[in-house]
Amino acid sequence: MGAGGPPPLPLEQVATLAGALKGTRSALSGSLGTWSFLGGTILILSVLLLPKAVASPAFFLQILIYGVANGAIFALIALGYTMVYGIIELINFAHGDIFTLGAFLALPLVGLFGMTDSTPFSFGVVLILLLVTAVVMVIDGGINVAIERLAYRPLRNAPRLAILITAVGMSFILEGVMYIWRGANNVHFPDVLPGSRIPIPGGASLGVKDVIVIVSAVILVSLLNVFTGNSKLGKAMRATAQDREAAQLMGININRTIAATFFIGAALAAAGGIIFGLYFNNIRFDEGFTAGLFAFTAAVFGGIGNIQGAALGGLFIGLVQAFSNAYFQAALTDVWIFAILILVLVCRPTGLLGMQVPEK
Amino acid sequence: MRLPKLLAGLALASVALAACGTAGGGGTSNKGVIKIAVDLPESGAETSNGIPTLNGVKFAVQQMGSVDGFTLQVFNLDDAVNGVHDPQKGAQNVQQFVDDTKVLGVVGPFNSSVARAEIPITNRAHLVQISPANTNQCLTKDVYIPQSLSGLADVDCKAAGLPFPKDLRPTGTNNYFRVATTDDNQGPAMSDYAYKTLSIKKVGVASDAEAYGKGIADTFSARFKNNGGTIVKRQDFPNASHVSDFRSFLRAALAAGAQGIYFGGTDSNNACVVRNQMKGIFPDSAPFMGGDGIVTGQCIKDAAAKVVGMYGTVATVAAEKVSGAQATIDAFKKAFPNKDDYGAYTMPAYDSAKILVAAIDKAIKANNSNMPSRQQVLDQMAKTDYTGVLGHTSFDDKGDTTNKVITVYSVKDATTGWEVTSSVSLS
Repeated sequence: MGAGGPPPLPLEQVATLAGALKGTRSALSGSLGTWSFLGGTILILSVLLLPKAVASPAFFLQILIYGVANGAIFALIALGYTMVYGIIELINFAHGDIFTLGAFLALPLVGLFGMTDSTPFSFGVVLILLLVTAVVMVIDGGINVAIERLAYRPLRNAPRLAILITAVGMSFILEGVMYIWRGANNVHFPDVLPGSRIPIPGGASLGVKDVIVIVSAVILVSLLNVFTGNSKLGKAMRATAQDREAAQLMGININRTIAATFFIGAALAAAGGIIFGLYFNNIRFDEGFTAGLFAFTAAVFGGIGNIQGAALGGLFIGLVQAFSNAYFQAALTDVWIFAILILVLVCRPTGLLGMQVPEK
Repeated sequence: MRLPKLLAGLALASVALAACGTAGGGGTSNKGVIKIAVDLPESGAETSNGIPTLNGVKFAVQQMGSVDGFTLQVFNLDDAVNGVHDPQKGAQNVQQFVDDTKVLGVVGPFNSSVARAEIPITNRAHLVQISPANTNQCLTKDVYIPQSLSGLADVDCKAAGLPFPKDLRPTGTNNYFRVATTDDNQGPAMSDYAYKTLSIKKVGVASDAEAYGKGIADTFSARFKNNGGTIVKRQDFPNASHVSDFRSFLRAALAAGAQGIYFGGTDSNNACVVRNQMKGIFPDSAPFMGGDGIVTGQCIKDAAAKVVGMYGTVATVAAEKVSGAQATIDAFKKAFPNKDDYGAYTMPAYDSAKILVAAIDKAIKANNSNMPSRQQVLDQMAKTDYTGVLGHTSFDDKGDTTNKVITVYSVKDATTGWEVTSSVSLS
């Protein structure tokens, strides 16, 4: 018989493909999947980038530094998305604007201390910046808690769509307030960090600013990791994320725990906003819209609800952006990012490091 | 009943006095009034655009006083709503001009989007409109970016999302003129300036991927290659207003040997953030170039530490660079002494008003010294052959000036901001 058999119907082909995909999905859901994905990503990136990296290592290193610094900022925003989603399954669209609000709140405070572009960098500047950041983290966190109390908590048991639309609405309200406050144009953030660069043998250089951004992000993510892993409140947050009712039965104050999650998420975003301002020196009222979208993508990419995943996702998106703008077409940067996201979600809906969300 | 008469008498007396005050005004003003209508954005954030421009018209009318026995009056309306120019308000304003039979011509508007709403209305009334500031090519031409400039295919106005000129002129004849040239000349002019004057041979080019920004970036690139230069790196950034980091592009351009950067785009699309991020990557001597979208105060704020060394083109003549115009500028500054009274469009508005009155003058003479019809003024306007503070102006059949001059502005000093640096003639 051989070639004489009837060709398979298109429908059957689709069914076979879907079956294969399902097979791939279940095969890739464990830690094997994590490693094969990480390995695959690194492999594809090395095939695309290795020849260019070898051709000019200094340039490659420079772009890598930019990518890591940008990724660190995305990671700080992504943490807020991932924590909130992990605990109440809400995509908090207003979170990107909480990030912008952090920078906007810092501006008058920084101005209060008379800091301008010409302020020389000193130990005092560091102290002031740390103080301002601490104050803004508290204020911005407080605002996010208030938003949760007023707009989200009453809808916690309503259909998912209602609370999602409320979050979109909050986003527009925050943007509107910031627009009225500072106008439509870019707002200049004083350039007080030292502009000096550390030369790297070969021609690249590492900016002191890059170091500050990356180190602060690493410290904040590590603190958060330790906090959720070891502290009482952190454990309560994880318990609430796993099973709200059971946590409540165990005597955990659910409302307080959720409010704390919003507070911490916003505090990290506020720090991210200030770091963004100090790093790029320009910020606009709607900066959080796209930054938030990318951060959310990072959170999904890494596995929503998963803190390490969000950090990894942020880093990944920062790197894709930097390399795409440097080596490929900037016009296609967003296409790359979202194509990769779709690929990950189709083959592994739980994201790179696996979801950590309430069990049904 | 007596009071109105008294007021009328006073008004007549003041008119007579005004007429006496002008030299060579052409005899007594007893034939009535001709109104020079002006539509500009005059309030809110637009004050700095509209008022210095309006002053140019006022100064011209003050100087002339009357024409062939008719007293000249300025009739100005503000097209800004809540401080921003508004096409709808502009349309209402010109309708008011059309309804006033004493109006024989309109100077304005300032913004191309407002012109798009106004031209159909003045066109139906055969009322002359002359703009001192409009630069969008689609007000007069079908092609947004000609193939000859971009090196790619023609991009017509429809493709750029704008109506064709004929869509704005329901009568099928032209009634719209302008003394500024068109935006499609901006890229080539900067290209010539960069290659010949700044002696730059390799450039990195980027744009905000919008019709205006990509258009001037394409035309810059095509001309630059034609001149003999090289575009070492080219990128377009969609949603540029949301791109926070351009450094990868800048590094790539520098690594490819770029001596400067051309960015086609506006300050609201982060054009001048690109300039700011050249800090620490490009040497201070590397210029940053663009179109009129960067010749703004906001750009100075965004570029912050890197303001010096920016170059931008504006599609109008700078009277400061025209020989013989300085005397008029000085006279203006004497009559309008405040610093904010004078702007980049004061002298273009001054010449626009004088060109309009010259056409009215010829129309009156052709009409046996009687009040001419709007059509008669229009016929004379098309035949304009005038030398003034912008140089020599005549109009082609589309209404565009034949005096195609692009002015290059640059920042040499952070405190003084943008200043006129050079004139590039493309005619």
